[in-house]
Amino acid sequence: MKNIYLPQKIKISKIEKLSSNTSLFRLKKIGGSFVSKKNGLVFVPGQFVLAGVWGYGEAPFGIASSPYEKSYVDIVVRNTDGKVTKALHSQKEGAEITLRGPLGNGFPLAFFEEKDVVMVSGGCGIPPVASLAEYIIKNRKKFRKVYFLYGAKTPKDILMKDQMKRWAKNMEIILTIDSPNPLWNGCVGFVSDIISKIKINPINTVVAMCGPGPMVKSIEKVFRPLGVADRRIFVSEERKMHCGIGKCQHCTTGEKYVCLDGPVFNLDQIDKNWD
Amino acid sequence: MAKIIENRQLNIFLEELKKKFDVFDVREDILPPKKYFLPPHEKTFSFDRKDGKVVFSLQKKQFIVFGVKPADLSAINQLDLIMEKSFSDFFYLQKRAKSIIIGLSERPLKSYSGGDLVLEKINSKQYRAIPLTKKGKKISEIWIFKDEKDPKVMIKAIPSTKKLKEIILDAEFLSDAVSWSWTHDQKVWDELAKICLGCGICTYVCPLCYCFSTDDRVCLDGEKCARFRQWDACTLPNFAKVTGGHNFHKTLKERYYNWFFHKFVRAYKEDGRPLCVACGRCQKYCPARIDIEVWLLKIIKDYEKYLLAPKN
Repeated sequence: MKNIYLPQKIKISKIEKLSSNTSLFRLKKIGGSFVSKKNGLVFVPGQFVLAGVWGYGEAPFGIASSPYEKSYVDIVVRNTDGKVTKALHSQKEGAEITLRGPLGNGFPLAFFEEKDVVMVSGGCGIPPVASLAEYIIKNRKKFRKVYFLYGAKTPKDILMKDQMKRWAKNMEIILTIDSPNPLWNGCVGFVSDIISKIKINPINTVVAMCGPGPMVKSIEKVFRPLGVADRRIFVSEERKMHCGIGKCQHCTTGEKYVCLDGPVFNLDQIDKNWD
Repeated sequence: MAKIIENRQLNIFLEELKKKFDVFDVREDILPPKKYFLPPHEKTFSFDRKDGKVVFSLQKKQFIVFGVKPADLSAINQLDLIMEKSFSDFFYLQKRAKSIIIGLSERPLKSYSGGDLVLEKINSKQYRAIPLTKKGKKISEIWIFKDEKDPKVMIKAIPSTKKLKEIILDAEFLSDAVSWSWTHDQKVWDELAKICLGCGICTYVCPLCYCFSTDDRVCLDGEKCARFRQWDACTLPNFAKVTGGHNFHKTLKERYYNWFFHKFVRAYKEDGRPLCVACGRCQKYCPARIDIEVWLLKIIKDYEKYLLAPKN
Protein backbone atom coordinates (compact mmCIF):
# COMPACT_ATOMS: atom_id res chain seq x y z
CA MET A 1 0.00 0.00 0.00
CA LYS A 2 1.41 3.38 -0.98
CA ASN A 3 1.74 5.89 1.81
CA ILE A 4 0.74 9.13 0.16
CA TYR A 5 1.53 11.07 3.32
CA LEU A 6 5.24 10.18 3.05
CA PRO A 7 7.02 13.26 1.70
CA GLN A 8 9.97 13.31 -0.70
CA LYS A 9 13.32 14.64 0.43
CA ILE A 10 14.07 17.93 -1.24
CA LYS A 11 16.98 20.34 -1.21
CA ILE A 12 16.64 24.10 -1.45
CA SER A 13 19.08 24.89 -4.23
CA LYS A 14 18.42 28.61 -4.43
CA ILE A 15 16.60 31.29 -2.45
CA GLU A 16 15.85 34.51 -4.28
CA LYS A 17 14.35 37.44 -2.43
CA LEU A 18 11.50 38.82 -4.52
CA SER A 19 10.20 41.46 -2.13
CA SER A 20 10.58 42.45 1.53
CA ASN A 21 8.62 39.43 2.76
CA THR A 22 8.48 37.10 -0.22
CA SER A 23 11.11 34.74 -1.61
CA LEU A 24 11.36 32.23 -4.40
CA PHE A 25 12.61 28.80 -3.31
CA ARG A 26 14.13 26.57 -5.97
CA LEU A 27 13.65 22.95 -4.91
CA LYS A 28 15.64 20.00 -6.20
CA LYS A 29 14.95 16.36 -5.59
CA ILE A 30 17.70 14.68 -3.61
CA GLY A 31 19.20 11.82 -5.58
CA GLY A 32 17.20 12.26 -8.78
CA SER A 33 15.05 14.51 -10.86
CA PHE A 34 11.31 15.02 -11.15
CA VAL A 35 9.55 12.65 -13.50
CA SER A 36 7.66 13.91 -16.51
CA LYS A 37 4.63 12.30 -18.08
CA LYS A 38 4.28 11.27 -21.72
CA ASN A 39 3.39 14.82 -22.73
CA GLY A 40 6.69 16.03 -21.31
CA LEU A 41 5.10 17.80 -18.34
CA VAL A 42 6.30 17.24 -14.79
CA PHE A 43 3.06 18.78 -13.52
CA VAL A 44 0.07 20.63 -14.93
CA PRO A 45 0.33 24.40 -14.47
CA GLY A 46 -2.03 25.27 -11.62
CA GLN A 47 -1.18 22.17 -9.59
CA PHE A 48 0.31 22.66 -6.15
CA VAL A 49 2.74 20.97 -3.78
CA LEU A 50 2.76 20.58 -0.03
CA ALA A 51 6.14 21.87 1.07
CA GLY A 52 7.19 21.22 4.63
CA VAL A 53 9.88 21.45 7.23
CA TRP A 54 10.12 18.66 9.79
CA GLY A 55 9.10 20.07 13.14
CA TYR A 56 6.87 22.75 11.63
CA GLY A 57 4.51 20.92 9.28
CA GLU A 58 3.42 21.28 5.68
CA ALA A 59 1.53 23.91 3.69
CA PRO A 60 0.26 24.17 0.10
CA PHE A 61 2.08 26.28 -2.48
CA GLY A 62 1.41 26.73 -6.19
CA ILE A 63 4.29 25.79 -8.48
CA ALA A 64 5.80 28.80 -10.22
CA SER A 65 8.36 27.23 -12.55
CA SER A 66 8.04 25.74 -16.03
CA PRO A 67 6.18 22.43 -16.12
CA TYR A 68 8.84 21.16 -18.56
CA GLU A 69 11.63 21.61 -16.02
CA LYS A 70 12.67 18.27 -14.58
CA SER A 71 15.58 19.35 -12.42
CA TYR A 72 13.70 21.68 -10.07
CA VAL A 73 10.39 23.27 -9.08
CA ASP A 74 10.04 26.83 -7.82
CA ILE A 75 7.65 27.94 -5.12
CA VAL A 76 7.03 31.53 -4.04
CA VAL A 77 6.52 31.95 -0.32
CA ARG A 78 5.34 35.03 1.50
CA ASN A 79 6.27 35.05 5.17
CA THR A 80 2.82 35.41 6.70
CA ASP A 81 4.10 34.61 10.18
CA GLY A 82 2.55 31.17 9.96
CA LYS A 83 4.48 28.14 11.21
CA VAL A 84 5.49 26.80 7.80
CA THR A 85 6.12 30.04 5.91
CA LYS A 86 8.23 31.28 8.82
CA ALA A 87 10.17 28.02 8.96
CA LEU A 88 10.80 28.10 5.21
CA HIS A 89 12.06 31.67 5.41
CA SER A 90 14.52 30.70 8.11
CA GLN A 91 16.10 28.03 5.87
CA LYS A 92 19.33 28.58 3.99
CA GLU A 93 20.35 27.40 0.53
CA GLY A 94 21.30 23.74 0.68
CA ALA A 95 18.86 22.95 3.48
CA GLU A 96 16.76 19.83 3.28
CA ILE A 97 12.98 20.17 3.35
CA THR A 98 10.07 17.96 2.31
CA LEU A 99 7.65 17.93 -0.58
CA ARG A 100 4.45 16.12 -1.49
CA GLY A 101 2.82 16.37 -4.85
CA PRO A 102 2.16 17.65 -7.44
CA LEU A 103 -1.46 17.58 -6.26
CA GLY A 104 -4.76 18.91 -7.56
CA ASN A 105 -5.99 19.37 -11.11
CA GLY A 106 -4.28 22.36 -12.78
CA PHE A 107 -5.58 24.46 -15.68
CA PRO A 108 -7.32 22.62 -18.56
CA LEU A 109 -4.54 23.28 -21.07
CA ALA A 110 -6.13 21.63 -24.11
CA PHE A 111 -9.26 23.73 -23.62
CA PHE A 112 -7.15 26.91 -23.69
CA GLU A 113 -5.76 26.14 -27.14
CA GLU A 114 -6.86 28.28 -30.11
CA LYS A 115 -8.26 30.87 -27.71
CA ASP A 116 -7.31 34.30 -26.39
CA VAL A 117 -5.82 33.77 -22.94
CA VAL A 118 -5.95 36.38 -20.18
CA MET A 119 -3.88 35.53 -17.13
CA VAL A 120 -4.71 37.61 -14.10
CA SER A 121 -3.01 37.61 -10.74
CA GLY A 122 -2.15 39.80 -7.84
CA GLY A 123 0.26 39.78 -4.91
CA CYS A 124 1.69 36.38 -4.10
CA GLY A 125 -1.03 34.64 -6.14
CA ILE A 126 1.35 34.65 -9.08
CA PRO A 127 2.81 31.07 -9.04
CA PRO A 128 0.08 29.02 -10.75
CA VAL A 129 -0.32 31.67 -13.44
CA ALA A 130 3.45 31.96 -13.82
CA SER A 131 3.80 28.26 -14.62
CA LEU A 132 0.94 28.65 -17.10
CA ALA A 133 2.83 31.55 -18.73
CA GLU A 134 5.90 29.31 -19.03
CA TYR A 135 3.78 26.62 -20.67
CA ILE A 136 2.24 29.09 -23.09
CA ILE A 137 5.64 30.44 -24.13
CA LYS A 138 6.82 26.96 -24.98
CA ASN A 139 3.66 26.29 -27.00
CA ARG A 140 2.98 29.87 -28.12
CA LYS A 141 1.57 28.95 -31.55
CA LYS A 142 -1.28 27.01 -30.00
CA PHE A 143 -2.75 30.14 -28.44
CA ARG A 144 -4.09 33.38 -29.86
CA LYS A 145 -3.70 36.69 -28.04
CA VAL A 146 -2.10 36.26 -24.64
CA TYR A 147 -2.21 38.82 -21.84
CA PHE A 148 -0.63 38.74 -18.42
CA LEU A 149 -2.17 41.19 -15.96
CA TYR A 150 -0.61 41.58 -12.55
CA GLY A 151 -1.27 43.89 -9.64
CA ALA A 152 0.86 44.64 -6.59
CA LYS A 153 0.69 47.10 -3.71
CA THR A 154 3.80 49.07 -4.62
CA PRO A 155 6.49 48.74 -7.33
CA LYS A 156 8.69 46.97 -4.78
CA ASP A 157 6.04 44.30 -4.28
CA ILE A 158 6.00 43.20 -7.92
CA LEU A 159 7.17 39.59 -7.91
CA MET A 160 9.01 37.59 -10.60
CA LYS A 161 10.12 40.66 -12.58
CA ASP A 162 12.93 38.77 -14.34
CA GLN A 163 10.55 36.10 -15.55
CA MET A 164 8.11 38.74 -16.77
CA LYS A 165 10.84 40.36 -18.87
CA ARG A 166 11.32 37.02 -20.59
CA TRP A 167 7.59 36.42 -21.07
CA ALA A 168 7.10 39.93 -22.48
CA LYS A 169 8.59 38.81 -25.80
CA ASN A 170 5.66 36.48 -26.35
CA MET A 171 2.72 38.09 -24.59
CA GLU A 172 1.50 41.47 -23.49
CA ILE A 173 2.21 42.16 -19.85
CA ILE A 174 0.32 44.90 -18.04
CA LEU A 175 1.28 45.76 -14.48
CA THR A 176 -0.52 47.97 -12.02
CA ILE A 177 0.08 49.16 -8.48
CA ASP A 178 -2.56 50.00 -5.90
CA SER A 179 -1.79 53.70 -5.37
CA PRO A 180 0.36 56.39 -7.10
CA ASN A 181 4.08 56.15 -6.45
CA PRO A 182 6.87 58.53 -7.57
CA LEU A 183 8.95 55.56 -8.76
CA TRP A 184 6.18 54.30 -11.02
CA ASN A 185 4.95 55.54 -14.37
CA GLY A 186 2.79 52.54 -15.24
CA CYS A 187 -0.86 51.86 -14.48
CA VAL A 188 -2.31 52.67 -11.08
CA GLY A 189 -5.41 51.02 -9.62
CA PHE A 190 -6.65 47.50 -9.13
CA VAL A 191 -6.24 44.80 -11.74
CA SER A 192 -9.94 45.11 -12.56
CA ASP A 193 -9.28 48.71 -13.63
CA ILE A 194 -6.82 47.74 -16.37
CA ILE A 195 -9.06 45.28 -18.18
CA SER A 196 -10.05 48.07 -20.58
CA LYS A 197 -6.49 47.95 -21.93
CA ILE A 198 -6.90 44.51 -23.41
CA LYS A 199 -8.54 43.61 -26.69
CA ILE A 200 -10.02 40.17 -26.71
CA ASN A 201 -12.67 38.23 -28.52
CA PRO A 202 -14.93 37.51 -25.52
CA ILE A 203 -16.61 34.47 -27.01
CA ASN A 204 -13.25 32.88 -27.64
CA THR A 205 -11.42 33.92 -24.47
CA VAL A 206 -10.33 32.02 -21.42
CA VAL A 207 -9.33 33.71 -18.17
CA ALA A 208 -6.91 32.14 -15.69
CA MET A 209 -6.86 33.82 -12.29
CA CYS A 210 -5.19 33.52 -8.95
CA GLY A 211 -5.03 36.18 -6.33
CA PRO A 212 -6.59 37.60 -3.20
CA GLY A 213 -10.35 37.06 -2.73
CA PRO A 214 -11.43 40.66 -3.34
CA MET A 215 -9.41 40.79 -6.58
CA VAL A 216 -11.04 37.63 -7.89
CA LYS A 217 -14.48 39.00 -6.99
CA SER A 218 -13.87 42.29 -8.78
CA ILE A 219 -12.47 40.55 -11.86
CA GLU A 220 -15.57 38.42 -12.16
CA LYS A 221 -17.58 41.60 -12.39
CA VAL A 222 -15.42 42.85 -15.24
CA PHE A 223 -15.17 39.75 -17.42
CA ARG A 224 -18.81 38.79 -17.22
CA PRO A 225 -20.10 42.04 -18.75
CA LEU A 226 -17.44 41.68 -21.46
CA GLY A 227 -19.19 38.48 -22.45
CA VAL A 228 -16.75 35.87 -21.16
CA ALA A 229 -18.79 32.91 -19.94
CA ASP A 230 -18.36 31.68 -16.37
CA ARG A 231 -17.22 28.33 -17.68
CA ARG A 232 -14.26 29.98 -19.35
CA ILE A 233 -13.17 31.92 -16.27
CA PHE A 234 -10.82 29.72 -14.23
CA VAL A 235 -9.86 30.59 -10.70
CA SER A 236 -7.22 28.96 -8.54
CA GLU A 237 -8.64 28.84 -5.03
CA GLU A 238 -6.86 29.04 -1.71
CA ARG A 239 -7.94 27.20 1.43
CA LYS A 240 -6.47 25.77 4.57
CA MET A 241 -5.10 22.28 3.93
CA HIS A 242 -3.72 19.47 6.02
CA CYS A 243 -3.86 16.26 3.99
CA GLY A 244 -3.95 17.46 0.38
CA ILE A 245 -5.82 14.30 -0.69
CA GLY A 246 -9.48 15.00 0.10
CA LYS A 247 -9.71 13.51 3.56
CA CYS A 248 -9.13 16.11 6.28
CA GLN A 249 -12.05 18.38 5.23
CA HIS A 250 -10.30 21.72 5.81
CA CYS A 251 -10.25 22.88 2.20
CA THR A 252 -13.85 22.32 1.19
CA THR A 253 -15.84 24.83 -0.79
CA GLY A 254 -19.46 23.80 -1.14
CA GLU A 255 -19.52 20.29 -2.52
CA LYS A 256 -15.92 20.45 -3.76
CA TYR A 257 -12.47 19.90 -2.33
CA VAL A 258 -9.89 22.49 -3.28
CA CYS A 259 -7.12 19.89 -2.96
CA LEU A 260 -8.78 17.22 -5.07
CA ASP A 261 -11.35 18.83 -7.39
CA GLY A 262 -9.32 22.04 -7.58
CA PRO A 263 -7.44 24.19 -6.88
CA VAL A 264 -8.54 25.37 -10.34
CA PHE A 265 -12.29 25.74 -10.78
CA ASN A 266 -14.37 27.48 -13.38
CA LEU A 267 -16.69 30.08 -11.92
CA ASP A 268 -19.72 27.95 -12.66
CA GLN A 269 -18.46 25.32 -10.25
CA ILE A 270 -17.90 27.56 -7.26
CA ASP A 271 -19.75 30.81 -7.74
CA LYS A 272 -22.92 29.66 -6.03
CA ASN A 273 -21.17 27.87 -3.18
CA TRP A 274 -22.36 29.01 0.19
CA ASP A 275 -18.78 29.29 1.43
CA MET B 1 -25.85 -25.55 11.23
CA ALA B 2 -25.79 -22.42 13.37
CA LYS B 3 -22.95 -21.52 15.71
CA ILE B 4 -24.17 -20.56 19.16
CA ILE B 5 -22.50 -18.97 22.15
CA GLU B 6 -23.99 -18.78 25.64
CA ASN B 7 -24.41 -15.37 27.32
CA ARG B 8 -22.41 -16.42 30.31
CA GLN B 9 -19.54 -17.48 28.12
CA LEU B 10 -18.97 -14.10 26.47
CA ASN B 11 -16.29 -13.17 28.99
CA ILE B 12 -14.54 -16.51 28.58
CA PHE B 13 -14.70 -15.90 24.84
CA LEU B 14 -12.98 -12.55 25.33
CA GLU B 15 -10.29 -14.14 27.51
CA GLU B 16 -9.75 -16.73 24.81
CA LEU B 17 -9.33 -14.02 22.18
CA LYS B 18 -6.89 -12.11 24.38
CA LYS B 19 -4.49 -15.06 24.22
CA LYS B 20 -3.85 -14.26 20.58
CA PHE B 21 -4.93 -10.67 19.97
CA ASP B 22 -5.12 -7.27 21.56
CA VAL B 23 -8.81 -7.02 22.37
CA PHE B 24 -10.76 -3.80 22.79
CA ASP B 25 -14.18 -4.23 24.33
CA VAL B 26 -16.25 -1.24 23.20
CA ARG B 27 -19.55 -2.15 24.82
CA GLU B 28 -19.30 0.64 27.39
CA ASP B 29 -17.49 3.17 25.16
CA ILE B 30 -18.84 6.66 24.61
CA LEU B 31 -16.54 7.38 21.69
CA PRO B 32 -17.33 5.46 18.50
CA PRO B 33 -15.11 2.58 17.27
CA LYS B 34 -13.52 4.85 14.60
CA LYS B 35 -11.04 5.70 17.35
CA TYR B 36 -9.25 2.39 16.81
CA PHE B 37 -8.56 3.15 13.15
CA LEU B 38 -8.42 6.92 13.25
CA PRO B 39 -7.23 7.57 16.80
CA PRO B 40 -7.99 10.90 18.50
CA HIS B 41 -4.25 11.52 18.45
CA GLU B 42 -1.77 9.40 16.53
CA LYS B 43 1.88 9.59 15.58
CA THR B 44 2.26 9.19 11.84
CA PHE B 45 5.95 9.90 11.28
CA SER B 46 9.10 10.35 13.26
CA PHE B 47 12.11 12.17 11.93
CA ASP B 48 15.68 12.08 13.20
CA ARG B 49 17.75 15.08 12.18
CA LYS B 50 21.05 13.25 12.87
CA ASP B 51 20.63 10.60 10.21
CA GLY B 52 17.80 12.23 8.26
CA LYS B 53 15.73 9.08 8.64
CA VAL B 54 11.95 9.22 8.35
CA VAL B 55 10.02 6.35 9.89
CA PHE B 56 6.28 5.96 9.61
CA SER B 57 4.17 4.29 12.25
CA LEU B 58 2.88 0.82 11.51
CA GLN B 59 0.24 -1.31 13.18
CA LYS B 60 2.03 -4.60 13.62
CA LYS B 61 -0.19 -6.73 15.82
CA GLN B 62 -3.65 -7.91 14.87
CA PHE B 63 -6.36 -6.60 17.16
CA ILE B 64 -10.01 -7.22 17.82
CA VAL B 65 -12.69 -4.63 18.38
CA PHE B 66 -15.44 -6.42 20.25
CA GLY B 67 -19.02 -5.41 20.92
CA VAL B 68 -19.64 -3.02 18.05
CA LYS B 69 -23.30 -2.08 17.67
CA PRO B 70 -25.05 -2.62 14.30
CA ALA B 71 -25.23 1.12 13.51
CA ASP B 72 -21.50 1.43 14.14
CA LEU B 73 -20.83 -1.59 11.93
CA SER B 74 -22.35 0.21 8.98
CA ALA B 75 -20.50 3.39 9.95
CA ILE B 76 -17.18 1.53 9.82
CA ASN B 77 -18.14 0.09 6.47
CA GLN B 78 -18.92 3.57 5.14
CA LEU B 79 -15.73 5.03 6.60
CA ASP B 80 -13.72 2.23 4.96
CA LEU B 81 -15.08 3.25 1.56
CA ILE B 82 -14.24 6.90 2.20
CA MET B 83 -10.71 6.08 3.27
CA GLU B 84 -10.15 3.64 0.40
CA LYS B 85 -11.17 6.18 -2.21
CA SER B 86 -8.24 7.57 -4.17
CA PHE B 87 -6.03 8.79 -2.68
CA SER B 88 -6.33 6.17 0.00
CA ASP B 89 -5.50 6.89 3.60
CA PHE B 90 -2.54 4.70 4.49
CA PHE B 91 -2.69 5.03 8.26
CA TYR B 92 -6.38 4.24 8.54
CA LEU B 93 -6.28 1.32 6.12
CA GLN B 94 -3.27 -0.41 7.61
CA LYS B 95 -5.03 -0.40 10.98
CA ARG B 96 -8.18 -1.75 9.38
CA ALA B 97 -6.18 -4.50 7.69
CA LYS B 98 -4.91 -5.61 11.09
CA SER B 99 -8.29 -5.49 12.78
CA ILE B 100 -11.09 -7.96 13.28
CA ILE B 101 -14.45 -6.48 14.14
CA ILE B 102 -16.97 -8.41 16.18
CA GLY B 103 -20.40 -6.89 16.29
CA LEU B 104 -22.98 -7.43 18.98
CA SER B 105 -26.68 -7.04 18.34
CA GLU B 106 -29.28 -7.22 21.07
CA ARG B 107 -31.80 -8.59 18.61
CA PRO B 108 -31.64 -10.41 15.30
CA LEU B 109 -31.57 -8.05 12.33
CA LYS B 110 -32.36 -8.74 8.69
CA SER B 111 -28.84 -7.86 7.63
CA TYR B 112 -25.55 -6.43 8.86
CA SER B 113 -23.56 -4.06 6.72
CA GLY B 114 -20.13 -4.35 8.26
CA GLY B 115 -17.85 -6.24 10.61
CA ASP B 116 -16.22 -9.66 10.40
CA LEU B 117 -18.45 -11.53 12.80
CA VAL B 118 -21.74 -10.54 14.41
CA LEU B 119 -23.16 -12.09 17.53
CA GLU B 120 -26.90 -11.54 17.66
CA LYS B 121 -29.03 -12.29 20.65
CA ILE B 122 -31.68 -14.87 19.81
CA ASN B 123 -33.00 -15.67 23.28
CA SER B 124 -32.29 -14.66 26.85
CA LYS B 125 -29.38 -17.10 27.09
CA GLN B 126 -27.81 -17.33 23.66
CA TYR B 127 -26.19 -15.42 20.83
CA ARG B 128 -26.03 -16.72 17.30
CA ALA B 129 -22.75 -16.18 15.44
CA ILE B 130 -23.01 -14.73 11.96
CA PRO B 131 -19.64 -14.73 10.20
CA LEU B 132 -19.38 -12.14 7.44
CA THR B 133 -15.77 -12.57 6.37
CA LYS B 134 -13.09 -15.26 6.39
CA LYS B 135 -11.55 -13.67 9.47
CA GLY B 136 -14.92 -13.77 11.21
CA LYS B 137 -15.52 -17.36 10.21
CA LYS B 138 -12.22 -18.41 11.72
CA ILE B 139 -13.15 -16.80 15.02
CA SER B 140 -16.55 -18.54 15.00
CA GLU B 141 -14.78 -21.87 14.73
CA ILE B 142 -13.10 -21.71 18.14
CA TRP B 143 -14.29 -24.25 20.69
CA ILE B 144 -16.56 -21.91 22.62
CA PHE B 145 -19.12 -21.82 19.80
CA LYS B 146 -21.40 -24.86 19.77
CA ASP B 147 -23.19 -26.22 16.75
CA GLU B 148 -26.95 -26.02 17.06
CA LYS B 149 -29.25 -27.55 14.45
CA ASP B 150 -32.35 -25.70 15.46
CA PRO B 151 -31.52 -22.56 17.48
CA LYS B 152 -34.37 -21.10 19.52
CA VAL B 153 -35.00 -17.62 18.16
CA MET B 154 -37.20 -16.05 20.83
CA ILE B 155 -36.28 -12.40 20.29
CA LYS B 156 -37.94 -10.96 17.25
CA ALA B 157 -36.55 -8.45 14.81
CA ILE B 158 -38.64 -5.32 15.21
CA PRO B 159 -38.32 -2.47 12.79
CA SER B 160 -36.74 0.64 14.23
CA THR B 161 -39.06 3.43 15.27
CA LYS B 162 -36.27 6.02 15.27
CA LYS B 163 -37.38 9.02 13.25
CA LEU B 164 -33.78 9.94 12.42
CA LYS B 165 -33.28 6.55 10.82
CA GLU B 166 -36.28 7.18 8.62
CA ILE B 167 -35.13 10.68 7.69
CA ILE B 168 -31.72 9.57 6.46
CA LEU B 169 -33.25 6.93 4.21
CA ASP B 170 -34.37 9.54 1.71
CA ALA B 171 -30.88 10.93 1.28
CA GLU B 172 -31.64 12.98 -1.81
CA PHE B 173 -34.62 14.76 -0.30
CA LEU B 174 -32.67 15.38 2.91
CA SER B 175 -29.77 16.83 0.94
CA ASP B 176 -32.14 19.12 -0.97
CA ALA B 177 -33.87 20.20 2.24
CA VAL B 178 -30.65 21.02 4.10
CA SER B 179 -29.12 23.05 1.27
CA TRP B 180 -32.45 24.81 0.71
CA SER B 181 -32.56 25.76 4.39
CA TRP B 182 -29.36 27.81 4.09
CA THR B 183 -30.79 29.99 1.36
CA HIS B 184 -34.45 30.08 2.43
CA ASP B 185 -34.64 29.19 6.11
CA GLN B 186 -31.89 31.23 7.75
CA LYS B 187 -33.92 31.51 10.96
CA VAL B 188 -33.17 27.87 11.70
CA TRP B 189 -29.44 28.52 11.50
CA ASP B 190 -29.65 31.75 13.48
CA GLU B 191 -31.42 29.87 16.21
CA LEU B 192 -29.04 26.91 16.14
CA ALA B 193 -26.04 29.24 16.25
CA LYS B 194 -27.45 30.73 19.44
CA ILE B 195 -27.81 27.35 21.10
CA CYS B 196 -24.69 25.61 19.81
CA LEU B 197 -21.60 26.02 22.00
CA GLY B 198 -19.22 25.24 19.15
CA CYS B 199 -17.46 22.67 21.32
CA GLY B 200 -17.06 19.98 18.68
CA ILE B 201 -18.38 17.15 20.87
CA CYS B 202 -20.93 16.15 18.23
CA THR B 203 -18.10 15.51 15.79
CA TYR B 204 -15.99 13.55 18.27
CA VAL B 205 -18.81 11.19 19.22
CA CYS B 206 -19.94 10.77 15.62
CA PRO B 207 -18.86 7.44 14.11
CA LEU B 208 -18.69 9.10 10.70
CA CYS B 209 -16.97 12.42 11.35
CA TYR B 210 -13.39 11.98 10.27
CA CYS B 211 -11.85 15.40 9.82
CA PHE B 212 -8.37 15.82 11.23
CA SER B 213 -5.44 18.18 11.43
CA THR B 214 -1.72 17.50 11.53
CA ASP B 215 0.86 18.91 13.84
CA ASP B 216 4.63 18.45 14.30
CA ARG B 217 6.21 18.17 17.73
CA VAL B 218 9.90 18.57 18.41
CA CYS B 219 12.13 17.15 21.17
CA LEU B 220 13.68 19.71 23.49
CA ASP B 221 17.12 19.23 21.91
CA GLY B 222 15.61 19.83 18.47
CA GLU B 223 17.16 16.65 17.08
CA LYS B 224 14.05 14.53 16.75
CA CYS B 225 10.52 15.35 15.80
CA ALA B 226 7.27 13.54 15.21
CA ARG B 227 4.30 14.30 13.01
CA PHE B 228 0.93 13.71 14.60
CA ARG B 229 -2.57 13.82 13.36
CA GLN B 230 -5.50 14.42 15.61
CA TRP B 231 -9.23 14.74 15.41
CA ASP B 232 -10.40 18.17 14.49
CA ALA B 233 -13.93 19.54 14.37
CA CYS B 234 -15.41 21.73 11.66
CA THR B 235 -17.37 23.58 14.33
CA LEU B 236 -14.19 24.90 15.97
CA PRO B 237 -13.22 28.53 15.18
CA ASN B 238 -9.93 27.98 13.34
CA PHE B 239 -11.00 25.06 11.18
CA ALA B 240 -11.11 27.02 7.92
CA LYS B 241 -8.83 29.89 8.90
CA VAL B 242 -5.75 30.36 6.73
CA THR B 243 -2.43 31.82 7.77
CA GLY B 244 -2.69 35.49 7.14
CA GLY B 245 -5.98 35.67 8.99
CA HIS B 246 -8.79 35.06 6.52
CA ASN B 247 -11.42 32.72 7.88
CA PHE B 248 -13.65 30.99 5.34
CA HIS B 249 -16.11 30.01 8.09
CA LYS B 250 -16.04 33.04 10.32
CA THR B 251 -19.21 32.55 12.32
CA LEU B 252 -20.44 29.67 14.42
CA LYS B 253 -23.55 29.70 12.26
CA GLU B 254 -21.46 28.96 9.16
CA ARG B 255 -19.45 26.34 10.99
CA TYR B 256 -22.46 24.55 12.40
CA TYR B 257 -24.13 24.63 9.01
CA ASN B 258 -20.94 23.22 7.51
CA TRP B 259 -21.30 20.22 9.83
CA PHE B 260 -24.80 19.58 8.51
CA PHE B 261 -23.73 20.41 4.96
CA HIS B 262 -20.98 17.81 4.98
CA LYS B 263 -23.14 15.15 6.60
CA PHE B 264 -26.26 15.53 4.54
CA VAL B 265 -25.32 17.39 1.34
CA ARG B 266 -21.68 16.94 0.32
CA ALA B 267 -21.54 13.32 1.50
CA TYR B 268 -24.70 12.55 -0.47
CA LYS B 269 -23.33 14.22 -3.60
CA GLU B 270 -20.04 12.36 -3.18
CA ASP B 271 -21.12 8.88 -2.21
CA GLY B 272 -24.90 8.77 -2.43
CA ARG B 273 -25.56 8.56 1.27
CA PRO B 274 -25.43 10.84 4.28
CA LEU B 275 -22.72 10.66 6.91
CA CYS B 276 -25.13 9.51 9.58
CA VAL B 277 -26.22 6.09 10.80
CA ALA B 278 -28.66 7.37 13.43
CA CYS B 279 -26.51 6.01 16.26
CA GLY B 280 -27.92 8.69 18.56
CA ARG B 281 -24.61 9.79 20.13
CA CYS B 282 -24.74 13.44 19.09
CA GLN B 283 -28.31 13.63 20.36
CA LYS B 284 -27.25 12.15 23.69
CA TYR B 285 -23.96 13.94 24.32
CA CYS B 286 -24.53 17.47 22.99
CA PRO B 287 -24.00 19.66 26.06
CA ALA B 288 -26.41 22.22 24.58
CA ARG B 289 -28.99 19.49 24.08
CA ILE B 290 -29.30 20.00 20.35
CA ASP B 291 -31.19 17.06 18.92
CA ILE B 292 -30.44 16.87 15.21
CA GLU B 293 -33.53 14.73 14.67
CA VAL B 294 -35.77 17.56 15.90
CA TRP B 295 -33.99 20.14 13.73
CA LEU B 296 -33.89 17.99 10.63
CA LEU B 297 -37.60 17.35 11.02
CA LYS B 298 -38.18 21.09 11.27
CA ILE B 299 -36.07 21.77 8.18
CA ILE B 300 -37.89 19.05 6.25
CA LYS B 301 -41.28 20.37 7.37
CA ASP B 302 -40.36 23.91 6.29
CA TYR B 303 -39.04 22.62 2.97
CA GLU B 304 -42.20 20.62 2.30
CA LYS B 305 -44.29 23.66 3.11
CA TYR B 306 -42.21 25.67 0.66
CA LEU B 307 -42.58 23.04 -2.05
CA LEU B 308 -46.34 22.87 -1.62
CA ALA B 309 -46.90 26.62 -1.44
CA PRO B 310 -48.30 28.16 -4.62
CA LYS B 311 -45.57 29.92 -6.63
CA ASN B 312 -46.07 33.04 -8.64
